[in-house]
Amino acid sequence: MRLKPFFLLVAVWIGAALAACLPSPQPNRPSGYLIIALESNPTHLDPRYATDANSVRIAGLIFNSLTRTDEHSRFRPDLAERWEAIDDLTYLFHLKKGITFHNGKPLTAADIKFTYESVLDPNNRSPRRGPLQLLKAVDLIGPYQILFRLSAPYAPFLENSTLGIVPAGTPGAAQENSLIGSGPFSLEEFSPGEKVVLKANSSYWEGSPGVSGLVFKIIPDAIARSLEFKKGTVDFIQNDIEPDMLPWLKKNTDAFIITHQGTIFQYIGVNLDHPILKVREVRQAIAYAIDREAIIRHLLKGLAAPATGLLSPSHWAYEPSVPRFPYDPEEAKRLLDRAGFPDPDGDGPLPRFKLSYKTTTLDLRRRIAEAFKEQLARVGIELEVRTYEWGTFYGDIQKGNFHLYSLSWVGITDPDIYFTLFHSRSTPPSGNNRGRYRNPEVDQLLEEGRKSLNLEERKRIYGGVQKILALDLPTIPLWWQKNVVVMKRNIAGFVPYPDGDLTSLKNVSFAPSPPSS
Amino acid sequence: MKRYLLHRLLLFLPTLLGSLTLVFFLIHLIPGDPVEVMLGETASSADKEALRRELGLNLPIWTQYLRFLTALAQGDLGHSLYEQGGVTELILIRFPATLELTLAAMGVALCIAFPLGIMAAVKKNSWMDQSSLIFSLLGLAMPNFWLGPLLMIAFSIELGWLPVSGRGGLAHLILPSLTLGMVMAAILIRMIRSSLLETIHEDYIQTARAKGLSEWRVWLKHALRNSLLSVITIVGLQFGALLAGSIITETIFTWPGIGRLTIQAIQTRDYPLVQGCILVISTSYLVVNLLTDLLYHLADPRVSYGR
Repeated sequence: MRLKPFFLLVAVWIGAALAACLPSPQPNRPSGYLIIALESNPTHLDPRYATDANSVRIAGLIFNSLTRTDEHSRFRPDLAERWEAIDDLTYLFHLKKGITFHNGKPLTAADIKFTYESVLDPNNRSPRRGPLQLLKAVDLIGPYQILFRLSAPYAPFLENSTLGIVPAGTPGAAQENSLIGSGPFSLEEFSPGEKVVLKANSSYWEGSPGVSGLVFKIIPDAIARSLEFKKGTVDFIQNDIEPDMLPWLKKNTDAFIITHQGTIFQYIGVNLDHPILKVREVRQAIAYAIDREAIIRHLLKGLAAPATGLLSPSHWAYEPSVPRFPYDPEEAKRLLDRAGFPDPDGDGPLPRFKLSYKTTTLDLRRRIAEAFKEQLARVGIELEVRTYEWGTFYGDIQKGNFHLYSLSWVGITDPDIYFTLFHSRSTPPSGNNRGRYRNPEVDQLLEEGRKSLNLEERKRIYGGVQKILALDLPTIPLWWQKNVVVMKRNIAGFVPYPDGDLTSLKNVSFAPSPPSS
Repeated sequence: MKRYLLHRLLLFLPTLLGSLTLVFFLIHLIPGDPVEVMLGETASSADKEALRRELGLNLPIWTQYLRFLTALAQGDLGHSLYEQGGVTELILIRFPATLELTLAAMGVALCIAFPLGIMAAVKKNSWMDQSSLIFSLLGLAMPNFWLGPLLMIAFSIELGWLPVSGRGGLAHLILPSLTLGMVMAAILIRMIRSSLLETIHEDYIQTARAKGLSEWRVWLKHALRNSLLSVITIVGLQFGALLAGSIITETIFTWPGIGRLTIQAIQTRDYPLVQGCILVISTSYLVVNLLTDLLYHLADPRVSYGR
């Protein structure tokens, strides 16, 4: 029976597979915890290193900052009781008293000084250092007073006051499973790629959260996320829902679904060094040729609103009276004719000119690209769609190796974002003016906007910037993505934020009676 | 045999070095900058340049390559540029999950393929043969990204027997291993059937029958054993491919394996992590190939490893 060893091997193989599963029994759902599904892994929960959206949102629940933004991107007190700009180079913050970290240690100005200096230390390689480059010194005035000195006037400085505060002495790039904050939740477990578990801080200075804790489960597949919700093993999903899955969820679950205007801005980037694309009429023609409403209706299932520019209507600096380019292929053709790009054979197959369009390999992005190709072909522009994996795509965009591409901006707070996107000094690697836009008038306005501390004046300045950009179209606005929240009906107290912030999870509780749709 | 084993083990080094070298240059040559990912879009060009210098990314690629080899020779795979922790730690967390899934999928495939393949050959042209053919075609035609969700809907949502996704106990392993194992089983069924049918007409089979052995004994002891070589080759190749990461299945079932880790590392241009993953994947392939070769001898003693 020489076959025995082979079958024995097969049996050992199967046995090993079964045995491999035994040491890790299925974890039970922790009682009173809210389970949230995320598409991607938060990479760093230390606020000094958190840059991706999920990391920033979860870190915001573990850590407090001097200020936090409200739903209109205005700064509101958090650890700071109040603050004052002594002059355009000096900001004084007065801290609230009696706030403690999760380990019971009082939070004082020394912790704030440490956190900012830790970010500024180049050895710590913090990605938050860039925006703090104008911060010259952080001085302790007392245990609850701290002074920030800048090297040059910089109105958006307050944006940096949303940095989460860590206890003094926390090493840079510390083991993130032992992070200590002062927020409504403390970190219980961080298993990269799998889950983040937060435990309610019962002695939180604003009051104990309404749930025992939060579990952020990383579920990369869109179908699996929806099925987990259907099965009841996920309670809450925000935005990580494919538009195609929403009708299924509505039909097959009793989910409470909220859709509301978000701030994520999708646009087409344009290379202004390209001989055809540098002509403004061509860019305007492309803007007229794109049927945003149809794409939103059919591909995005209504989960977006046509955009006029970077800042959404919920932002304090939003300017509504800007030039708009609704779908009008005939006007697009007229503009192209006038710009000197006539259609060589009328309705025939020859295009006026050819352009390439770069996007990522994500299925939805590819489908949107195909829609653009079809719509631009109607006005005589041939579009060659090129899809790349993220690293290659982003590398090409930064180098200026593109004609057209599409990306989105997430987490816009201060309108000074326009400086890094459109100032002539902000071309990569010094900024994100990837299209190489140069306009002295815009440059001047952006420099003024940086210096002025007067909100009304800044509103006027950035209103002017928005009007010029809407006409010049260095980037072609597409849409603002709507936020979608899918949650169990017994969840009460969640307030959606336009930027997808999860701050209000501290007020969430499991209600005995479900809310009505 | 010992001499053969030693010879094969000595071949490990140049093969590994070759694959690592290829990947090293490819990942460095394709566009993308890890420093952009690490420091974010708002970092100054001076900071980015300083970090490039610190990581040695400003050095000529040959110098970087030599540094990498020196560190590797000292057993140092370095630190991930993007994830927390050392490359070795990250791989040690993920690789057992991949091994667990691969072993289970292989178990599923063998358990399905052997009975069905043998039945199909023994009862050639019967309804059993036709059924196994249909099963095999279905298995080959169903892509993982379709079969996975289908199994989830059936067993997790409708029947409620199993969890939808994630890694935990045995229950979590069943659906992903079925998804992966089905395709492999489909290939093996056809392979076992055709190998058996080829062997069954050999003279020694007629001899075995003439000796009065029972038909099942003839099939299982004489025919199957001699048909195993081609089956072992396919099993070995498939096993290696699964260890290299079943990215789609790992993604669908939220399985924290090395496939997903490798893809994330490539996307973020996390050079040390990519190298570490490729090292593990290449080594797995080599080990599985070696085991496959040794199994040949076990299945058929006529296979010799001598000169």
